[in-house]
Amino acid sequence: MQPSKLQEIMLKASSFIQNNLYIKSISGGLMSLMPVLIIGAIFSLINGLPLDAYQEFLVSTGLKPFVELPVIFTNNMLALYASFAIAFRLTNELGKDGFSAGVLSMLSFLIVTPLGVAEGGGVAIMQQWLGATGFFAAMLVAVFVGRMFCVILDKGLYIRMPAGVPPQIERSFAALVPGFLFVIAALIINAIFAATQFVSIHGFIFGFIQTPLTNIGASPIAYILVVFLIHLLWWFGIHGVIVLGVGVMMPILTPLGLENLAYFQEGLTPPNVIIWGSITLVLMGGSGTTLGLVIAMLRAKAARYRTLGRLAIVPGIFGINEPIIFGTPMVLNTKFLVPFLGIPTFTAFMTWLLTIIGILPTLNGFGPPLGTPAVVHGFLMGGWRVAAWQVVLSLFHFLVIMRISKKQMQKHTLKNRIRGKPQHRAC
Amino acid sequence: MTEMKEIKKILLACAGGFSTSMLVEKMKEEAQKRGLSVVIDATAQTAIDKEIDSISVVLLGPQMSHAEKGLKEKYGAKVPIAVIPMMDYGMMNGEKVLNQALELIENFEGGL
Repeated sequence: MQPSKLQEIMLKASSFIQNNLYIKSISGGLMSLMPVLIIGAIFSLINGLPLDAYQEFLVSTGLKPFVELPVIFTNNMLALYASFAIAFRLTNELGKDGFSAGVLSMLSFLIVTPLGVAEGGGVAIMQQWLGATGFFAAMLVAVFVGRMFCVILDKGLYIRMPAGVPPQIERSFAALVPGFLFVIAALIINAIFAATQFVSIHGFIFGFIQTPLTNIGASPIAYILVVFLIHLLWWFGIHGVIVLGVGVMMPILTPLGLENLAYFQEGLTPPNVIIWGSITLVLMGGSGTTLGLVIAMLRAKAARYRTLGRLAIVPGIFGINEPIIFGTPMVLNTKFLVPFLGIPTFTAFMTWLLTIIGILPTLNGFGPPLGTPAVVHGFLMGGWRVAAWQVVLSLFHFLVIMRISKKQMQKHTLKNRIRGKPQHRAC
Repeated sequence: MTEMKEIKKILLACAGGFSTSMLVEKMKEEAQKRGLSVVIDATAQTAIDKEIDSISVVLLGPQMSHAEKGLKEKYGAKVPIAVIPMMDYGMMNGEKVLNQALELIENFEGGL
């Protein structure tokens, strides 16, 4: 197949994913929950740090219940926040009042969630379905509510206010009709599922959608394939992490990360080998694990590469490597095709292998924010062994790249040819 | 519309706004050298919506070239939108990208 033809297909597919309303709202909604996720993860780490003396200290000083509290209201209730954030994004994207839709989505989500009984009588909202397990149900409720909210308003089904009434008031009244419809729909769903063996819609979605999907997403084949495809997209100059990573894999793998955190917090071994962090683990120093190349560049003969190396080293440590990808360039550069795609793919395979044979620990589920320096990143996700693994990876990459790039960097004639080509493409 | 845009605002958009913010710094240096009064800012691609009425040009990082078409359909009538050439982006060439932005503003007549 012609490379240009393949590139066109990639661009179209990426554009589809990027512009798809639902994917965009789900990943956008999750991104806006980042502070909640990170706060929850950090308190899980503080709470679950597996050192006996430290744990005794937490218990004896009475601090334990306090460090647990933020986790209860972050990770363990993430689905509830997601039900708001996703509907908010989706409705805003369609040009309607996202806030009202978000609140209604949260309300509908709570109605379809089974209630418990509190100890002293009275009702209790149970956390069973508010965290990782209720995550897909929250996404579906949010997408449905967000979409229908707009459809209902577009059909003109809302209470109109006479001219002169402040728009804020009209907006809150506009949400009334769709609100009632959602609540009635949610009550019906609640009643129907209560009569089945699933008890609630959560049991059904968890069993028939969430579990199969996360099983596929967390399979080693999917993991290695996704890492490969992310880099293939990057090789064509498309931000593979945003398109395939954040767009597709992050929503699928998020519940598994939350599950790992919960185990870690209890001092148990986290069960899921592949989580979202497994992908970011091999992307340290940016896509293509290019940190080794940057270091090699600092010592290159050609002045242009030395300049690029100096420009790229600091951002590279923080995981930003666009200068390398576009400046070297990696994009459409056949000399780097094999290492650029091969090294991360191989790395992903090795990470999986070393984890299942027990040399690397399973990741604790913490997702360090974008821009966390390499190695620190690994340490936060899985302790010193994962940090050491990232050091090994960088060294390995450096050695491979040195062999390949030595010839490349010394050929000045080649430089000009490369310089002309992608520029032409991007214009 | 034009009178609202007296001070030109150049918006650079990439995936998270991280790498473009590096380029923005370079462009600001260049603009200062030339004594231009322009506002240059970096943002995530998803945040364009909020700023669209106050900006004069949108430049996309090359890694977001697949988003160009969608953005042009949405905002093409209001502002010029273009992708930064890979090499200028990679080498963080503030001078060239600033020129590109100014030319786009100059030549923009509105409409698709």
